[in-house]
Amino acid sequence: MKKGLVLVCACFVLSCAALPALRPLDRPPVCPAPFLTEKTRLIHAIEAGAAGKTRAVLIGIALADPAARKLSAAVLTPEGVALLEASYGPSGAAVSRALPPFDSGELACRMMEDMALIFFAPAGEPVSRGASAEGETVCRWRAQSKGWVDVLQGQDGRIRIRRYSEGGRLEREIALSGDAQNPYAAIELQASERVDYSLKMTLLEAEEVKSAPQAGREDRGDKP
Amino acid sequence: MGRTGIKILLLILLVVLPSGVRADDFAQLRREAARITTISADFVQKKTMKILARPLVSEGKFYYAAPSSIRWEYTRPLRSVVVSDRGKTRRYIASGGKMIEDLSGGVQAMKIVLDEVAGWMSGRFDANPSFAASLSEGPDTQITLTPTGQNMAGMIERIEITVSRRDAAIKTVRIVESRTAETRIDFQHVVINKDIHPSVFREVQ
Repeated sequence: MKKGLVLVCACFVLSCAALPALRPLDRPPVCPAPFLTEKTRLIHAIEAGAAGKTRAVLIGIALADPAARKLSAAVLTPEGVALLEASYGPSGAAVSRALPPFDSGELACRMMEDMALIFFAPAGEPVSRGASAEGETVCRWRAQSKGWVDVLQGQDGRIRIRRYSEGGRLEREIALSGDAQNPYAAIELQASERVDYSLKMTLLEAEEVKSAPQAGREDRGDKP
Repeated sequence: MGRTGIKILLLILLVVLPSGVRADDFAQLRREAARITTISADFVQKKTMKILARPLVSEGKFYYAAPSSIRWEYTRPLRSVVVSDRGKTRRYIASGGKMIEDLSGGVQAMKIVLDEVAGWMSGRFDANPSFAASLSEGPDTQITLTPTGQNMAGMIERIEITVSRRDAAIKTVRIVESRTAETRIDFQHVVINKDIHPSVFREVQ
């Protein structure tokens, strides 16, 4: 009986989730554009959390090519052990190395989708523009797979990215706390899944990539 | 050539060839390492991967006290500390400006690694049946550990450890993961047999 009640409540909650309405503005707002425009390598310190507690501290390396919408990524422990090496492109995610907790494959693919959501502008033109109930300007896109992506900018200039399911359930909320010059200096991602998780990312290093990487030419440590 | 001739030739080869693997080489290393009671050192770690244009450099401090106490502390780019003392291993990570104990499964993997490192520090390079150990002499002694089973396939191709001929202390560890990925750790400012307070292996702040 108890399980049935929980199930009914869950269905009720899900059915109530709806895409937030956008209030039309006299002049359609300029869409916030924090996304990468050049092929860039970013290295972040990542605090991964669940249930409100930090579960792991990791180093995330992303090599993102926005023109091709391709992304390579690696996740390392602070000791340098590669837990995940994967790539993401128009055909989806491919994992080349995965150790626990990424060995299930599902978490690895979700992680790559999260990185794409953070670094790549939504494809195509926005389907609507307006203002949120809180007064933020919002541009809304149809997500490439299914669902919706909102990019919001508050009066203070801070940018948030939200991904909703087809039915309007909030699945991801990403807050970019960096400035206009460096929007990826600090990123906070909140994922609402069967098991909720969060990623708090602090930029260690970013560089535009002009040519293919060549291993072992000089040390990274001396450069800020 | 008679049987005696072949035996003499083999004996000469064993003595002359510097890279020959002989049980007494490892026994000699164990004897020399037995003189080491403590080690403290700085280390620089360089991680090379295909996704990186240049190695990712990490730095930290290493402490060892015989027979198996270790503190392996990274200070940059991220602070993390693993301490192992009396068979108990704990890992601490920096979160919100303070060090918190890592309660994930990662600590078990680190315990395996630290137990192995403690073995190396006491000269037991050939003790783990998961690796075949070979030894070659040059300006320094180099030990190469190659996985014997398939359980490390795709993770570690080989581990090369360079040991000082002067004091049997480890100078570098190079973990070759694949053709394009490796981790190299260089130990610097090595201090041997100077007292280390036991709290170093137990307390993390």
